[in-house]
Amino acid sequence: MRAIDHYAWTNRWRDRHPAEKLLPAFSLLLLTLLLPPLTTGPLVLLLTTLATVRGAGVPIHAFWNVMAVPAAFLLVGAPFLAVSISFTGGLNLHLSPDGVWLALETTVRALAAVSCLAFLTLTTPLVDWAPLLRRLGTPASVVELILLMYRLIFVFAERALTGRQAQAARLGYARFDRSLHSTGLLAGNLFQRGLDRARRLDIGLAARGYTGDLRVLTPDRPLSWLRLATAMMLVGGIGLMSGLLAREWL
Amino acid sequence: MTAPLLAVDGLKYCYPGGVVALRDLNLKIRKGRKLAILGANGSGKTTLLLHLNGTFRPTHGEIRIDGQPAAYDRRSLINWRRRVGLVLQEPDDQLFAATVEQDVSFGPLNLGLSEAETRERVSEALEALRIAPLAQRATHTLSFGQKKRAAIAGIVAMRPEILVLDEPTAGLDSHGVTHLLGVLRQLHEAGATLVFSTHDVELAYGWADEVAVFHEGTVRIQGETTAVLGNGELLHRARLRPPLLLEVAQALGADVESLPRTREALLAQLRERR
Repeated sequence: MRAIDHYAWTNRWRDRHPAEKLLPAFSLLLLTLLLPPLTTGPLVLLLTTLATVRGAGVPIHAFWNVMAVPAAFLLVGAPFLAVSISFTGGLNLHLSPDGVWLALETTVRALAAVSCLAFLTLTTPLVDWAPLLRRLGTPASVVELILLMYRLIFVFAERALTGRQAQAARLGYARFDRSLHSTGLLAGNLFQRGLDRARRLDIGLAARGYTGDLRVLTPDRPLSWLRLATAMMLVGGIGLMSGLLAREWL
Repeated sequence: MTAPLLAVDGLKYCYPGGVVALRDLNLKIRKGRKLAILGANGSGKTTLLLHLNGTFRPTHGEIRIDGQPAAYDRRSLINWRRRVGLVLQEPDDQLFAATVEQDVSFGPLNLGLSEAETRERVSEALEALRIAPLAQRATHTLSFGQKKRAAIAGIVAMRPEILVLDEPTAGLDSHGVTHLLGVLRQLHEAGATLVFSTHDVELAYGWADEVAVFHEGTVRIQGETTAVLGNGELLHRARLRPPLLLEVAQALGADVESLPRTREALLAQLRERR
């Protein structure tokens, strides 16, 4: 999580207008879901990888790390799609061409879709999503809550980490039973601190005139129509190419 | 003499549950001065500061603003906090937004300023705290000293008349302290009245025009810095020690008023003599 966040804040495309990243990425996601996966998927994967690594300058291993967890789930799940089970006359496992095809399609489609999101998470910090969420009609209080949670996650992650280290220093995790005990203590402590922190944050915000709205400035970034148009044309090109290839091969 | 900007009069405060935190407390904050509230850790300084912007309400006694008793309705509180800016000791208690710029913009927007004015206030405050390059950084990636400055910028952007800081130098390294004091000096020269709590006697000696010695939930004495800090017996009773430079001056039998009060000033004078 730390690594994702780090690259989201420091990549080369960090200061670009969020629409230049969000629109193409979501269009690409839509293509992935609508068009034949076997031709679209690889093209989308290629484009998102290139955009993240070459474009935004995020190291490829970070991109793979984000992809790794969903990919692992897919690899575990796909065989079950390929195989069909029937109980007529005992337990029968069938491996049908249709099943294999389905498994392949699903895997490729899911991987491509995840890659669109990986591109976004690695290039666009959560703050930049807020204006989009507001424009889509999300209630202001929900957006504020999301942003506040984002901020507090790090405060708590740090507390949890130092707390764990302090416990480990006194051999709190030396044995299995002690580990359980220590984890329980740590969790209880974090809940308590959470409430305490909320109370103090309330005081801090009130000192700055908080009356129920967490309004802040949105960064002023010019939208480059040229870049957006180029990106959308690339996305369109992928759609076209995938359609042509599909007609040729499938 | 004109009425002090802010006066605390016979304040008593009990925590919910009845534990007495503050009692018989008097304090005067005069315009354009630098007041240090000096006391040992855990003596209740923070509780007192939380009264200065209306966060806590006295059990007995009152706070007077420009000679008028303070009111605690919503509008009065907003007005009060516009004039008195409180910076908490722990910056994480105050920073809530994802980027520095966004966080600093929170106060000005709450004052009802337009977006253009807010941007101006934000860049002004970031300049004043010398953290303009951090504007777009994520709050959680800042160092402690940077967080502290961002938290102060969030208050400075509201342009309060009185800036109240709870232990502003706690947790900072010596470089950070020097930097912060430079910033505070500028803010003071620009017209702000400063109030800060500290347990650091040297800091109070070098920095404050006035010192209020705080012990066991009350202000024992408030007065001119040299006069108060020269009273070793009183400080000792409040579990504090007189500043080194003052003790040296006293030991040399020199006139305390004419001697330097900070390490920098002392070294500069010694260099001149040679």
